[in-house]
Amino acid sequence: MSYPDIIFNNLLIVALGGAFLTYLLGKVSQNVRNGFAIFISSVLVLMVAGLHGYGKELVYARFFDHPLILRINNLSWLFAITITVLSTMSIIFSLSYMKDKTRLGLYYMMMLLVSTSMLGIVMSGDLISFYVFWEIMSWSIFVLVSYNKGPALAAGLKYIIISLAGSLCMLVGILSIYGNFGTFDISQIAGFIASAPRGYIVFILIMFCIAFGIKNGLMPLHVWVPSAYTESPSPFTALLSGMLAKMGTFGFLMIFYIMLGSRIFLYLGQGRLSFHYILCLLAGITIVIPNFIAVFQDDAKKLLAWSSIGQCGYIILGIAFGTSLGLAGGIFHFFNHAIFKALLFLAVGAVEFRTGGVRDLNSLGGLANKMPVTFIATLVGACGLIGIPLTNGFVSKWLIYKTLILNGSPFLAFAALIGTWGSLLAIYKLLHNMFLGQLSEKHKNIKSAPFSMRLPMVILCAVTIIFGILPGLGLNIINSIGISLGFESLGVNLWGIASETGTLNTINIFAAIIVLVFIVYIIFRTGGKSVLVSQDNSYAAGAYVPADKYHYTVDFYNPFYTMVKPWLKDRIDQFYVWIGKISEKLAEFVRRMYTGDLGNYVIYIMLFLAVLICVQLIWRPW
Amino acid sequence: MVNPVLLIVIPLGLTFTIPLFGFISKKITKYIPILGMIFNLAAAITLIPRVLQAPIIISLGGFPAPFGINLMVDPLAVFLAVLIALVGLMISIYAVDYIKKGATQSYHMLYLLLLVGATGIVLTGDIFNLFVFFEILCISSYALVAYNQDKPGIEAGIKYLIQGTVGSGLILMGIALLYGYFGTLNMAHIAKHIHSITPLSAFLPLALLITGFGVEAAIIPLNAWLPDAHSSAPSSISAILSSIAIKMGVYSIMRIIFTLFGASSLLHFLLFIGLITLLVGELAAFRQNNIKRMLAYSSTGQIGLIIFAFGLASALGIKGALFQITSHALAKALLFLTVGYMIYRSGSMEIDSLAGMGKKLPVISLAFVIGVFSLIGFPPFVGFASKFLIVEATLVQHDLLLTILLGFVLLATVIECAYFLKVIQIIYFKESNKDPDQTRKNTSLAVLIPICILMVLVVGIGIYPEVLSKILNSAAGMLLDRGEYIRSVLP
Repeated sequence: MSYPDIIFNNLLIVALGGAFLTYLLGKVSQNVRNGFAIFISSVLVLMVAGLHGYGKELVYARFFDHPLILRINNLSWLFAITITVLSTMSIIFSLSYMKDKTRLGLYYMMMLLVSTSMLGIVMSGDLISFYVFWEIMSWSIFVLVSYNKGPALAAGLKYIIISLAGSLCMLVGILSIYGNFGTFDISQIAGFIASAPRGYIVFILIMFCIAFGIKNGLMPLHVWVPSAYTESPSPFTALLSGMLAKMGTFGFLMIFYIMLGSRIFLYLGQGRLSFHYILCLLAGITIVIPNFIAVFQDDAKKLLAWSSIGQCGYIILGIAFGTSLGLAGGIFHFFNHAIFKALLFLAVGAVEFRTGGVRDLNSLGGLANKMPVTFIATLVGACGLIGIPLTNGFVSKWLIYKTLILNGSPFLAFAALIGTWGSLLAIYKLLHNMFLGQLSEKHKNIKSAPFSMRLPMVILCAVTIIFGILPGLGLNIINSIGISLGFESLGVNLWGIASETGTLNTINIFAAIIVLVFIVYIIFRTGGKSVLVSQDNSYAAGAYVPADKYHYTVDFYNPFYTMVKPWLKDRIDQFYVWIGKISEKLAEFVRRMYTGDLGNYVIYIMLFLAVLICVQLIWRPW
Repeated sequence: MVNPVLLIVIPLGLTFTIPLFGFISKKITKYIPILGMIFNLAAAITLIPRVLQAPIIISLGGFPAPFGINLMVDPLAVFLAVLIALVGLMISIYAVDYIKKGATQSYHMLYLLLLVGATGIVLTGDIFNLFVFFEILCISSYALVAYNQDKPGIEAGIKYLIQGTVGSGLILMGIALLYGYFGTLNMAHIAKHIHSITPLSAFLPLALLITGFGVEAAIIPLNAWLPDAHSSAPSSISAILSSIAIKMGVYSIMRIIFTLFGASSLLHFLLFIGLITLLVGELAAFRQNNIKRMLAYSSTGQIGLIIFAFGLASALGIKGALFQITSHALAKALLFLTVGYMIYRSGSMEIDSLAGMGKKLPVISLAFVIGVFSLIGFPPFVGFASKFLIVEATLVQHDLLLTILLGFVLLATVIECAYFLKVIQIIYFKESNKDPDQTRKNTSLAVLIPICILMVLVVGIGIYPEVLSKILNSAAGMLLDRGEYIRSVLP
């Protein structure tokens, strides 16, 4: 057996065993457990790396006599490597972040269990395995979101109820497929489903899309995202936003292109009224609105959470749009967003850690000098988010814009553009309010982030920039994925990508920027002398301003806010809350049926008998 | 081969030896139910290979059917007998340390009688014998519900007594009508000749029997006794009632509908009754603050789900229903046993008083979580396998109405998730506002052993559900095939 075979056969066993072993080791010693957790996640990175370019199928168990299959191909590999890398980064970050918290054994075990279930999802070859791993992932997320107690409990409950509703829709879809085609094997279904009536395919698609849309944060299924992201521990939020939401993306890719195939999926309906186009419109709404809601948030993590929902809209737009450029853009944006969003959440987590839990943007400020690495990390992450050249976000956004413009969707292109404006405003608010401006008195003695927090941030920064300068590293794999899913090949090479209207050549951009920076530097050096200004020296048109009092972060976008405020009600969330309240009222009403009076109960018995006899007399069913 | 009569006779004999042993030493009486159930479990398991080939018919007293009482041990009977013995064994081990105050001797006698009644119900082939064992079951449970001798317990016991007696009266009327028509009490004989009377006159005993057994089976609107009874009884009794006793009511109804009357057209009605019971049960549980009441309402909901699955009337549907009976029996027993111990430690049945149990009782809280996850249907626990089967059975029928009803069933699952997971959050993630533990008492072994065994079963059968498939397939086939039943008993 070759190395990849051995690795593939044992990957999930190592991951699962590692999770349980971590918990058990924690009973022995905290440090041993922490070290072991990092060791296992690194081992998983190496194992997945060893599977590069490998494709295989394996029947690993039986459930009620249906074979359960594991399958790996390029798409699974890309997701798997992202999962393991992000998981390792989060666990390293947790070393210092979670140092003073309780029940760490549960935390580390759940983090590893979440990674295991994600690996299981992306490597599933049949729908039962997919569903089982999906649900294991769901309840692991529930435990981790509820971890922080307090408001986290309500967030966790909201999450699991919505997630379960989606999963049950998916179960109905899966068993309906089984009822019609007699198999759970994804590749076999792909063969059968081409002959199914179109209405049935749309029904199945809707069932699956509800589940995947909920996970991915597609509007209007996104309501669990803001509270769950905000209240969960920050390293887990990085994983949640980076990878767990993207399990929905994987689901979309699996159902649209692996199970259905682009030939069927893209032609369900007529012209603009096709399924994939409506999905694109929903994705467009998801891009525009949440990015602007992010602008108004005062809690750093909530801002990033809404921004995440918006960015996921780009991913779904790229995937659902149906061109090879779009698909490449969508998948690459998934990878990039995983990297830079995790980076941003880790940076916010570092600030939160050092300031003693402060996430409120109105009270932070001026931390750039105190926490330089965190500042650079946030800056790079922000650039990636906006899509500034030299970062990976730029390449994927370029691909998505390109395909929207080339294929004549001005609406969606405009929506994507507005979304970028919104994300720019939001992320600048984050950057400014946390790092720029004046340093508050109470934060004067903050130390820089500890090493185990800085390391993952630096690594993720490096990845962001490297993939921005040499996007071919990612695009090669993505191109092969696109080809395997039935799209035409793109002209990809190490430093760029060719398309009909011109090539994107990042090396040229990189060279141009280096030259520009050099020129600016020369001018700067040969220009006049510079004066060193202290951080709390602020300009107030000649009036005296006490250093600590003038801090331009509160009500950062006040004019914009007052303009939009009348319309700023979260109607979708209110809708779900209303459903919850109606259910409670219904429950209360039903409960009153049990009056407590014995006579009533005996009457119920007699009434039932009477109803039975009446039913027989009137309708004669028997 | 063990004579199936021994499955009833030995525990019955042991029941009456309990007072005799009580004269020697009070402590021994605790272990006699355990002995009885170990015997039952072993005997039933050894019967399985024989029964899978052909049902075993035992004629009592040498009188052949249809004149005498006969035992009809088919795969369904032996499977339920194993389940009764297993859960009964677990709960009797738990009761060794849990039942300390009061008339413990009477407790153990009545408990063993309850299990004798249950085993008799599934093994018998005679309808009046069914009624006799059913009454043994019910009367034992009436007394055991009031075991705590406090006001809620006695009130619950009396309400249960009266409603149960009304139900039993209706059953007796139904049996009397059947005897009047056919002159025999043998189920196979009645089944053979059921079509010789007009449908309307046959329907009256059917309605009476369904209503009467339905009281014990806890279908809506006959289940008003259940929340009071299961919440006021001691937790080990709540466990056995929820796991076994109400399933006996369901078994009786199904035996009557499927085998005796062959009333397959009544099954649509069953679907609706099951669905309404499910929704009402889950909705009512949603608003409870008392953990045992919540579990009791959840039991009624699950019975609704089981009846819904029976109503699907396909072999796969019945297999799903039987699997759901198993998974609910195991999970509910686990939940009531763990909750009983938690209540014992915290002193109150309010859900808020369970806060902080995750730290105080780690193994027991973990067992609670596993029970809840299994009930909701999360993989990889046994509840997922049973719900999977039920959803599969519904969808393979390609019926739009069924799919819409299935939507409601899954809605009930979401409601279930909402209230149960809130309890789990309180257990693990809320701080207890009582002072940190005074004396760290160790959880006694007698409490831990059954809980651990049930946990292992829930996870084990969940990961490998195929282990039950063979016997469940035969059981489902047997229930659907009236002709086979009749032919086995009356040659």
